[in-house]
Amino acid sequence: MSTYSKKQVADLVKGDLDWDTVHLMLSMPKDGDRYKLYMEVLQDNVDYDDKILLAMGPHLNVVERTSDKEIVVKCDCGHDFGDYRKNWKLGALIYVRDNVEKMEQIYPAIMAPDTSWQVYREYYCPSCGIQHDVEAPTPWYPVMHDIQPDLKTFFEWLGMPAPAKI
Amino acid sequence: MNDMTNNPVEVLGIDAGGTMTDTFFVRADGEFVVGKAQSDVDEPKAVMESSVDALAHWGLTVEEVYPQMVTCVFSGTAMLNRVVGRKGLRTGLIVSKGFEDFHRMGRAIQCYLGYAFEDRLHLNTHRYDEPLVHIHDTRGVTERVDSKGGVVFPVRLDEAREAAEELIDQGVQAIVISFLSSYLNGEHERAVRDVVLEVVKQKGVNVPVFASVDYYPVRKETHRTNTTILEAYAAEPSRRILSSLSDRMKEVGAQYDVRVMASHGGTISWKAKELARSLVSGPIGGVIGAKYLAEQLGIDNIACSDIGGTSFDMALIVKGQFAMHQDGDMARLVLSLPLVAMDTIGAGAGSFVRIDPYSNSIKLGPDSAGYRVGTCWPEGGVDTVSVTDCHIILGYLNPDNFLGGILELDVPRARQCVQDQIATPLGMALEDAAAGVIELLDLSLRQHLRAMISAKGYSPSDFVCFSYGGGGPVHAYGYTMGLGFKETIIPAWAAGFSAFGCATADFEYRYDKSTDIGITQESTVAEKLAAVTTLQTAWDELTEKVLEEFRINGFTPDQVTLTPGYRMQYLGQLNDLEMNSPLASVSKAEDWDNLVAEFDLTYARVYADAARSPELGFGITGAILRGSVVTKKPSIPSEPDAGPTPPAEAFIGTRPFYFKRKWVEAKLYKMESLKPGNRITGPAVIESDATTYVVPTGFETWLDGHRLYHLIEV
Repeated sequence: MSTYSKKQVADLVKGDLDWDTVHLMLSMPKDGDRYKLYMEVLQDNVDYDDKILLAMGPHLNVVERTSDKEIVVKCDCGHDFGDYRKNWKLGALIYVRDNVEKMEQIYPAIMAPDTSWQVYREYYCPSCGIQHDVEAPTPWYPVMHDIQPDLKTFFEWLGMPAPAKI
Repeated sequence: MNDMTNNPVEVLGIDAGGTMTDTFFVRADGEFVVGKAQSDVDEPKAVMESSVDALAHWGLTVEEVYPQMVTCVFSGTAMLNRVVGRKGLRTGLIVSKGFEDFHRMGRAIQCYLGYAFEDRLHLNTHRYDEPLVHIHDTRGVTERVDSKGGVVFPVRLDEAREAAEELIDQGVQAIVISFLSSYLNGEHERAVRDVVLEVVKQKGVNVPVFASVDYYPVRKETHRTNTTILEAYAAEPSRRILSSLSDRMKEVGAQYDVRVMASHGGTISWKAKELARSLVSGPIGGVIGAKYLAEQLGIDNIACSDIGGTSFDMALIVKGQFAMHQDGDMARLVLSLPLVAMDTIGAGAGSFVRIDPYSNSIKLGPDSAGYRVGTCWPEGGVDTVSVTDCHIILGYLNPDNFLGGILELDVPRARQCVQDQIATPLGMALEDAAAGVIELLDLSLRQHLRAMISAKGYSPSDFVCFSYGGGGPVHAYGYTMGLGFKETIIPAWAAGFSAFGCATADFEYRYDKSTDIGITQESTVAEKLAAVTTLQTAWDELTEKVLEEFRINGFTPDQVTLTPGYRMQYLGQLNDLEMNSPLASVSKAEDWDNLVAEFDLTYARVYADAARSPELGFGITGAILRGSVVTKKPSIPSEPDAGPTPPAEAFIGTRPFYFKRKWVEAKLYKMESLKPGNRITGPAVIESDATTYVVPTGFETWLDGHRLYHLIEV
């Protein structure tokens, strides 16, 4: 089993880790304390004290709220999207690119999709404005619920005590 | 020993690796010495230090020896490292307009070339390396040649002029030109080349220009372009280093021209135009050496096996010939270089050993400790157990004389590490865990060796196995056991065998050109005549190139032996076969039938009679021309038989040795003191500074008059 330092895991998260090490990490069985180090690195990146349980995106985490032990989705800025079993996107600011002008802000003319077939839906944090996700669905498609973590099984796999309110 | 007049030192082989620079000096009577020095950025310096080290064995100096030597062959890893580390010359690239991105996109295979099998399957490890040429240093020029060589758009030379001016102003140090289908019609590339050369001259800069058609006129533009770029990017700096090495040698009186080992299995001058051919040469040296040795011994079929610290390289010699790959790949780049066919796996004598926590099984590699040896050498800074640690613990290697005693090893530390990292997690005794690691490595090597031979339709019982490389003599018994080779041969100079092999290689240039010739049963005599004319035109073009290379080294055409060859296939098949032409030149329609007959014979030999498919017709996909001149080669030592009993001074004691789950006392011998005819029954370990030869229980070895050990299962 390999072992990596917290610095290496932090560099991995930032995207600064050298490729040879990343390649070894990908090829080798995961090191035993990776979850612990990864969570520490994520925790160091945020100002709130709520305990991070899982990353949902580059700036979005599932956390155990310190005040009431509820499990919620939080932005790095501390914005609370509510219960982790509900789709956090429903609490986000949504910007829909559904015409040629809006598409041409991203792609050169005629290189973007026809918006009667496909639109872009961008999800932003209402507090800090960071972009959390982009969907590219057909215009009539419901808001996608990307991930519903099974935390109970996850903590069983980790062999660690699960939070109380799972 | 230093009888200089009757026994001059004639041949020098140099193997400049990443960590050690080996030199291999051979005397006229075949006696040789091996020298070692730490590799240095200043390569000539490392070569000189290594030479001093080698010649000290004979009590000679470089000033005495260099003037009498007749040949010197260099192989090294510096060019490869330059490519891998992307530290070459900043190169500009001119391509067909609209195709500016094909170089950086690369071929899909380049994202997993060189990976271990698991990683090829493991998609998220796939990754494209940085392109050799940045897109900002790439320009497109309007032109197009179709797939038959016809001009679709004429080339716009004003665009070429503008491109060259911009690239030079941006600061490129070399310019490469590579157009689509230029191997069929090189006019556009040559015209652009001349314009670029004019611009270079006008600007008064020193920027070499490389048109792919002048170097590698073969199909597949990514391969061709990569190879031509390497000529500028990586080979140019090597030319400068080899020039300084040559100068340094001349200073101490050398009279010869330094040659380098090339991927096609011959050696070429350092002044060669196509120097990128020498990108990878180390492991090839061993195959060439094995072929040479086999010729001397009268052996037809050889399985070559070379085990070093990081990899295991295998190659087959069948009926005295090794196979060639037409498109070799190196440093994760597809290339248009003919390459001696070898199979490599990333497991070696220094591979790291870990336990997979999910399957609770031993996992070897893919990385290795390399020069840092293992946990037994604390100064190496390695915390992970390596195969070497297991060998040390079990008495295979001598901890007090590792690499001639230059490293001080900490055996208790190695024991502790193997105990903690391997034995305890597996619930095994220390010795059994260490022995398990070695068995697993041997098993894996054995399976690869067997697979390589049987996949080509042969049986190990038709082959003699040659085992060499730093780890060869330690592992030979393990990876040949039960495979049923005729016999296993281990040269006493196994550690320096690659350098030896380089010294045995011919001075040979090889040029290739793609051709599109197809003749079916319906073809007319006129079509056959056109086909042989096309082939002969290609040979003539290549002949001129080969003779030009020899001219640079002062050889006249009459000194050069030319061997034309071709690659042929049954039409519609994907693979072709390479063979020497039965005719020195072709000019008549009947000559075609001779070429076909030769192919049919070769095909039947490689595959089977029944697999021949003449009804499909025949195609020639490439013309090949090799030219060689006679060189001095090392002779194989020849010593009189001294009987089966080793001399008393060869026996140096005993050591506990763990094999098949029990400790035994292995007899220790000094390799240099053993005499031809001596027979040793295992368990025994035969040691020299560079090599340890393990003969376990159930094996026997004897030394022949050529200083070759024969390993026999009894």
